[in-house]
Amino acid sequence: MSVSVSVSVSVTAFTAFAAVLRSESLKIRSARSLGLTLALVFAVTAGFSVLMSTSLGPEEQAAPDFDPLESAYFGLNFGQVAAVCFGALAVAGEYRGGALRVSLTAVPRRGRFYAAKLAAVAVPSFAVGLVTGAVCFLAGQPLTAGGGMGPGDPGAVRAMVGCGLYLTLITLLAAGLATLLRGATAVLGLLIPLLMIVPFVIRGEGLIEYLPDRAGRQILFQDPVGSLGPWTGLAVLALWTAASVWAGWEALRRRDA
Amino acid sequence: MTSIDVADLTKEYGPVRAVDGLTFAVRPGRVTGFLGPNGAGKSTTLRLILGLDRPTSGTATVGGLPYRALDEPARRVGALLDPGAAPGSRTGRDHLRVLAAAGRIPARRVAEVLELTGIAGAADRRIRSFSLGMRQRLGIAAALLGDPEALLLDEPSNGLDPEGIIWLRGLLRELAGEGRTVLVSSHLMGETAEFADHLVVLGGGGLLADAGTGALIEAWTTPRVRLRTTEAEGERLRALLTEHGYAPVLAAEGRWTVRGARVTDIGPLMARAGLPVLELTGEQGTLEEAYLALTAGAPEFAAAHPREV
Repeated sequence: MSVSVSVSVSVTAFTAFAAVLRSESLKIRSARSLGLTLALVFAVTAGFSVLMSTSLGPEEQAAPDFDPLESAYFGLNFGQVAAVCFGALAVAGEYRGGALRVSLTAVPRRGRFYAAKLAAVAVPSFAVGLVTGAVCFLAGQPLTAGGGMGPGDPGAVRAMVGCGLYLTLITLLAAGLATLLRGATAVLGLLIPLLMIVPFVIRGEGLIEYLPDRAGRQILFQDPVGSLGPWTGLAVLALWTAASVWAGWEALRRRDA
Repeated sequence: MTSIDVADLTKEYGPVRAVDGLTFAVRPGRVTGFLGPNGAGKSTTLRLILGLDRPTSGTATVGGLPYRALDEPARRVGALLDPGAAPGSRTGRDHLRVLAAAGRIPARRVAEVLELTGIAGAADRRIRSFSLGMRQRLGIAAALLGDPEALLLDEPSNGLDPEGIIWLRGLLRELAGEGRTVLVSSHLMGETAEFADHLVVLGGGGLLADAGTGALIEAWTTPRVRLRTTEAEGERLRALLTEHGYAPVLAAEGRWTVRGARVTDIGPLMARAGLPVLELTGEQGTLEEAYLALTAGAPEFAAAHPREV
């Protein structure tokens, strides 16, 4: 009896969540700018990566610390900015002109709302990231001097899937931060320097390895150097994302809408 | 049916007490007007009822439950807070589809409420191109999506054209007639008097009145009688009325005004005195007068509130 009750409650909760998820993904699909941002993630990442792969010469490949995948995901440096924009803008729509009040009137359970929002952001960004990861590899490698890696080589599939995971985690990092900061502008001001400038300004090993993009991109190498491996590096990025998502949740939970 | 119950509700924003120990109930089957000047706490109260803001103390419930605990909020309560909150980059139809999906409301209902509110023709335009009146209609459409038992509408007539206001009045009456609970805030007295059966009046965050519209007007206004007799009998009329405790005032063209009197008091008096009656009209006070009399007693009104709540 109690089992059937608890099962029916969880089924109800699940269908309620599914409804909110559908609503949140409709929001994303009905905003043209978001689709465009996601298209840019693919175009910029794949474009720059393939371009870089063609320019890889034999002398770079002969260097002792050369990794066969070094250039394969070069475009991610720029493509991740589009991912940050996607995550931040998808959330920022709620903080324009009181839209959040309409959303929370429709979905008063904030945990359900937030989880659905993040899922609606994560699913398309993982899909686009996965396609991007495959295209970067499959289109880029044959163009490198000497033919590059094949999809069956060690680390190849890991890197393709890793590209999808990396972009998803970066997108969620931005989405959580946008919830905390109630808009996209501050997120871009914070994350773009953190991802694009800080790693190039700070020199030396140590702390820098634990920055979100450095750590997360260990998974994109066949044999990553440094103290973090491919999966532990990704886990460090996941911790950054978890912190941001948690901070966003605390803010959403406590604040008046 | 669904009642809205507010009990000892208080909300402070820093040092400002926007809502102060408010208690009232909104009952089904009638239109309740929610009145008060800007800053009296109307919008804050609505946000507290909807669980958007957390009360400092006290409770607000819908059908006995806090709004946040409702399983299918869209079917219980429809709300319009701010017509500007609908995202400008989305089309009207998409905005409603998003809300329908979240509330598990069938998609055909979107087309229905678009028809009902008269914006079906503009539904596929981006909301940023909507006039204020169209945004209000879209907000009302959103509130009606779940065919809810209760409606909370904050200044819904704002921006509507005269035709729209007449439509809204009919709609509110119809919804209440179907047994729904309807709470409509406004600062327009004449308009509110036309559609509200019951009034909740706020001032300075507190409750000033919770009464039937007619009873409130009766209690807070003084009836008047306007009358005219022949010019020759003017002084005899004044003497007669003064003798009976009235203070008649002679206005232009031989017309007299007697405050605090009804035609049923004055008519028989004049008849017994054999005074010719050329005109005799009773005037009931207006909601506006009642409201001004009511709010004159609340000193908070003199001080401007720092924020529109």
